[in-house]
This record gives sequence, structure tokens and C-alpha cells, in this order.
Amino acid sequence: MADFLTSTHRAKWIFPPQELKEKYKAANQRARQMLEKYGATRVEVDIDGSLSYPERQNEAKAEKHSRAKPLKTEEEHLIRAFYEFKIQDVCDAFKFPRKIQATALIYFKRFYLQWSVMEHHPKDIMLTCIYTACKAEENHVSAEELGKGIEQSHQMILNNEMIVLQSLGFDLIVYAPYRSLEGFVNDMEDYIRATDDQRQTLMALLETAKIEADKTMLTEAPLLFAPGQLALAALRRSNQVHGVLDFERYLRSILSRQQPVHTISELTTALNNIDSVVSKLATPTASDMKHIDRKLKSCRDPSSHDKSKKRKHRSKESPSQLHNMA
Amino acid sequence: MGDGHNTNRGSGAASNKPEWLQHYDLIGKIGEGTYGLVFIAKIKSNRSKSIAIKKFKQSKDGDGVSPTAIREIMLLREISHENVVKLVNVHINHIDMSLYLAFDYAEHDLYEIIRHHRDKVNQAINPYTVKSILWQLLNGLNYLHSNWIMHRDLKPSNILVMGDGEEQGVVKIADFGLARIYQAPLKPLSENGVVVTIWYRAPELLLGSKHYTSAVDMWAVGCIFAELLTLKPLFQGQEVKATPNPFQLDQLDKIFKVLGHPTQEKWPTLVNLPHWQQDVQHIQGHKYDNPGLYSIVHLPPKSHAYDLLSKMLEYDPRKRISAAQALEHEYFRVEPLPGRNALVSTQPGDKVVNYPVRPVDTTTDFEGTAPLQPAQPASSGNAVTGGIPGQHVMPNRSLPRPMHMVGMQRMQPQGIAGYNIASQAGMGGAMNPGGIPMQRGVAQAHQQQQLRRKDPAMGMSGYPPQQKRRF
Repeated sequence: MADFLTSTHRAKWIFPPQELKEKYKAANQRARQMLEKYGATRVEVDIDGSLSYPERQNEAKAEKHSRAKPLKTEEEHLIRAFYEFKIQDVCDAFKFPRKIQATALIYFKRFYLQWSVMEHHPKDIMLTCIYTACKAEENHVSAEELGKGIEQSHQMILNNEMIVLQSLGFDLIVYAPYRSLEGFVNDMEDYIRATDDQRQTLMALLETAKIEADKTMLTEAPLLFAPGQLALAALRRSNQVHGVLDFERYLRSILSRQQPVHTISELTTALNNIDSVVSKLATPTASDMKHIDRKLKSCRDPSSHDKSKKRKHRSKESPSQLHNMA
Repeated sequence: MGDGHNTNRGSGAASNKPEWLQHYDLIGKIGEGTYGLVFIAKIKSNRSKSIAIKKFKQSKDGDGVSPTAIREIMLLREISHENVVKLVNVHINHIDMSLYLAFDYAEHDLYEIIRHHRDKVNQAINPYTVKSILWQLLNGLNYLHSNWIMHRDLKPSNILVMGDGEEQGVVKIADFGLARIYQAPLKPLSENGVVVTIWYRAPELLLGSKHYTSAVDMWAVGCIFAELLTLKPLFQGQEVKATPNPFQLDQLDKIFKVLGHPTQEKWPTLVNLPHWQQDVQHIQGHKYDNPGLYSIVHLPPKSHAYDLLSKMLEYDPRKRISAAQALEHEYFRVEPLPGRNALVSTQPGDKVVNYPVRPVDTTTDFEGTAPLQPAQPASSGNAVTGGIPGQHVMPNRSLPRPMHMVGMQRMQPQGIAGYNIASQAGMGGAMNPGGIPMQRGVAQAHQQQQLRRKDPAMGMSGYPPQQKRRF
């Protein structure tokens, strides 16, 4: 809980890079197969939260729509990245605290480990993730209020709530780097026996580190590394700007004060890897998005102009694991 | 036993049950509260095990999954301790968008155990059982507090005790609907509305403290400890019902009568508390002599038990004993030593009390809406279930029948009508179990039991229905 070491976050939601890749690939693959078979990928979420998968179109139609091209995993990545920026925008617009923003982002990332954007549109999932994060972080905002604020249907937010909760396996407590940031900065204050001036600089260090952490939250890093490491990496980058302390010595001092789980070189490698992931943060451009969005539309629902013959292959089943948490 | 597998087949209404539900045999309803219903069921694949299933309705205001459910699930997913109830599974029922939380079933709770001693056997709970229950309760609470979780709604009905089986007599803290993590709260804790049933509510809360701590749980443990000793709630204040968060003068008055007035010397931050400042006339007005807690709990003032109790009922939350400290108290180091099976003493000469099993209402289906099947006798694991298997394989009949009373001592007179009466009594404003002076007269006994059924406590309890909360 408060203890990350025994958390579901640590036990179930931090992956080796390879596994992450495979998960994205598997979700993409499944959507591709659906497109091939049924000519559409959209999984409809009904008002009761149950799912309807596309059904086989008749032969001729499938033929006709076979031109719809599935998204590549890189395109999926870009579109997710785009909506993660959106999550930050929406949360800023509502003046939600950073913690809620971070929670929503982590929910969103976890959701798309199991689903392709071709199956569930990220625009809808993004809103439900924010909505759910607000509930979990005890900052309840009604779906209606949230929907109104961004001119989206609140019914869509509610429809997706169950599928989001389910896809998260009801693991709703997540750890963001922000608390660790503050903890480390407090600790640094003692470590360098800060004077008043230095305290000012440390505050500046913290502020820059928060912005670095915001950036980090938009990458895959939160699925790959523990929040404490994300915080240290953000502080190290911030320290490169502010030059408050000898960071490597500080890292050594942290490790010397606890039974070290890592050696200094392991920790440094992890921080380097985080930096490398963060440095590759892509900011999707409007024109990228236009292209991908068009593609997404056509493969989600190529026959959207012809609603009569669609999907009635219903399933009340959940996508995966969720029935067995025990 | 042969029952069960036929029960739901052929019943038209039951055939469209969600897939997950088919893994269970529903036995009946054991509790009801504002959030929803609690059922007892057996897992088909392992019939020796009973499961309590707590159904959360959609939140009324059309705002999706109830935040209480979310909070309870998210906390329970992260914790694991012998003295904390175990969440086994979460299920979704798409038909009405409700959530079902499946827990290991506990046959007893402190409310029923205390009531049994008071009303049925007329005898104090033996010292071994009291000490073992208290130790395990503190042990679970210490775990929660060291994980920065406050329970905030401890009361006898939320403290469960396991019945027959491998875990017999093990205490389980239940109902995390009001629990929360208290590190870096986004909002002052008091903004979540009324917290903790008033009899067990700590004085700092009653005086309007905005930032309270895990010490509120320790106050409640102190009250529960006293209740285990005397079989009577220690501070039975009349609750003022108004929203939001009214000043509970009577409850404070009850506390002051027993413990004496708090003073600024003993509790320096007292003067900063809103109600202490604002309500000078009432709460600072009449002074009580300290009549002595020990005379009420019948403990020698120099005993270890009394020493521990008074440290739990310390006014100043900063001086109040913590769960970790309490576990180290001398009381637990002297005979009788606390044990894992709180119900069965290893002391020679202590007799084992047979506590009754929970009453089960078999007239309600899992949706909690329509009575699908005629009433059946039922029990949670005693001989009745096995004794008359034929009764369980029943064709679907449209007429509800009155409940059989076979072998069930605690079955209340019921059927649907009984529940309606109870709920109407509730609607009339008398809903508050806490608001009723605890006259245990014969005339009241029946009604109280009915009201008690509205208390969500059984099995997996919740907060009393009168506590309307805003999120």
C-alpha cells in the first residue's frame, strides 16, 4: 500500500522491456486478425458495460473492406502517446493534482497492454481513465461534469468504466514518482546540511524534477521501472541543470544507508535506461495524427456507413485474467 | 450432500445467470445496507468453503461504480494479513452494472458474540477469549496502520470471528468501505463526510478535528474492549441526525461522564478544536467529577487490563497508545496468554460457548430483487443443509412461502414482508441503531433485531444506513 514493496504495482505491473514489446505485439496481432476475419476491429461497449465483438461480414463485404489497413505497432504507439498528452491537458484544464494525472496515465498505459487502440478508441478510454483515477484518488468528479468540461458524452465514460476496471484487474493503487521526489529532496537537505540559500536551490531542483517526472510519465518508463528510480532519474537530470550536489556520491550514500537491493552500477544503469527512454519521448504532430486517425477509423469500422449488418456476436466475457485474481 | 447442483437448473429466471455466478451455490442473504446486500454462498468446486458475497449497487446518482466499492476493493487488493478479511474475488454483473466482492466467510462477529452473552447466556465472555480477540484485533490494526491505512469505522459488527474450520476463532477486521490511506491526502480527511459510528467515535472527531490520525481507530478499540468486558456499549450517545457532520453533544457528554472533562493540561491542542471553541456553553458548561472508568468496567484500577484500556481511551490522540505499543502491553504477557483460536480456550475448566450461526434469508436471489424460489431452510454449514437435501432441489414456484424455522435459533420471523417492515422502520428516521437507547426489553428486542438486519454488519459490514455521505 503505502508500501511499494508489497504492492500489486510492483508485483504485477512492472515488466522487462521484452515482455512489454510482446504484449503490444500480441494486442496488435489480435486486432489485425479481427480485421482480416471480420473486416472491422472495433469492440463495442454496451450501456451495461458488456462487449460486442465485430462479426463476420459476408464474403463480398469482407472482400470489399479488405483494403482497410491495420495500424502498425509504431502507429499504435504514436496514437497512445498523443492521447497521453491529452490526459495531461484535460487534467490541467480541470486543475487536478499531479497525482491524479499520473494515476490516469498509468491506468491508460496498463489498459493498452491488453487491448489495441483499434479495439477501444483511446479518446474514450482516456476519459474513463481520468474519471476512474479521480474516484480512486478520492477526488470524485461526476462523469457528467467531466464530460461537459470537455464536450464529450458522459455516457461513454460510464459505459467504459467496467471494462477499464476489469482490464486493470482492479489494481487501482498506483505509485507515481512525485512523492519519492519530495522524500529525496528532504533527504538531500539533511545530506548536504543545507543552508538557507541551498534550500532555495533545492526547491528549484525539485520543481525542475517535477517537470522531468511529468515527461517521464508520458513514456513507457512507468511500466519498466519502480517509481523511486523514476524519481531519482528525474532528480539527476534536474541536478544537471541546477548543480546542487555530486549526484553519484548522493546515490552511494542512499545505498549505504539501507540494505542495498542494487549495487551502484545497477542503479546507475537503471537511471541511464530511464533517461534513454525519456529522451525518446515522441511528440506526435498534427499531421502524423491525421494520417493515423484516418487509418484507425477505417479499420475500426469500415462499414460505418452501413450500420444494418454489423456485429451481433456478443460476449459477456472479460478480456483476460480478471476472473481469477486469487 | 447432493444439493446445490440442481438448485438452479430448470428455474427459468436463474438460467441467464452470468457465468461467474454459476461457480457458486447461493445459500441466502445474510445482510443488507445502503451500499447493497451480503450473501452467503458455497463454491461448487469446494463445498466445504463458504464465501460471503457483498454486492455493491451502482451508485444512485447515476455515476457508475460506487466510490465506496472502489475504495474497498483497491485497499483490499493490496493487503494481506491473517487478521484482515480476505478478498477472494471481484465479479461484475453486467445486467445491473453491479460489483460483487467475494470474501472468505466468517460465521461470527463481535456484535453477535456480545449479544449472545448478554441476552442468551447471561454470562461474561471468558478472559481468554476477550484477550485473544483484543490481541488479534490489535495485530490486524497494527498491520493496517503500518501500511498507512486507517479503518475509520471499527465497531463490534465489523470485527469478524471465523467459525468451525482451520481458522476457527481467528479474528478478521472487515469492511473497508470507509478506510483510506493517510499519507499525503489530497483533501483534508474530514471532507469525506461523517466517519465512524458515533458510539465508537474518538473525541477529537466529535470536537470537529480536521486532521485526524490512526489514533481514532485505537479509541474505537478501547470502546470495543470495554464492551467485551461489560457486554454493553461504553458510550451510548444519542446521535444527532443532520447533514453534514453535526455536532454530537450527547455522545461527548456520555464520554465526559465516564472519563471526566478533558483539560487543556492533559490535552494541549484541545483548545484549537472547532466545537470546543464554539460550544463553550454546552460542553464546557457542566463539569463532571471523574466517576472512574474502572467502576463501569469492573476492573481493579491497578490491573493490567485497566491500564491498557485507559491508555486506549486517552483524550489526547497524540498520547493515546498505538496498536504496536498496545501489543507490547503487559496485559498480553500475563495469564491467560492470548491464542489464535479465540473461541476455544486452552485453559482447563473454561467451557466452550457455542455461538449461533448467522440467520440466512433464503428468499432473495443474487440480484436481491425478486424472490425466485420459495423460502427454504438454510444454514451456513450446520446439519440442516445436509439433513434435508430434498428441500434444496426445488422446482420454481411462484408463491413465496413462509420461512421454515427448522433448526434455526436465530432466524428472525421474516420473508419479504419482514424485511419491508424493517426498512420502513428505517425510513421513518428510527433507522439508526445508535439512536435507539439500548433498552433490551422484550418489547424492543424484536424490532431491534430487525433494525439490526438493516445494519450492514453481518458478514461483511458497512456503515450504518443513517450515514449519508458525499464524495
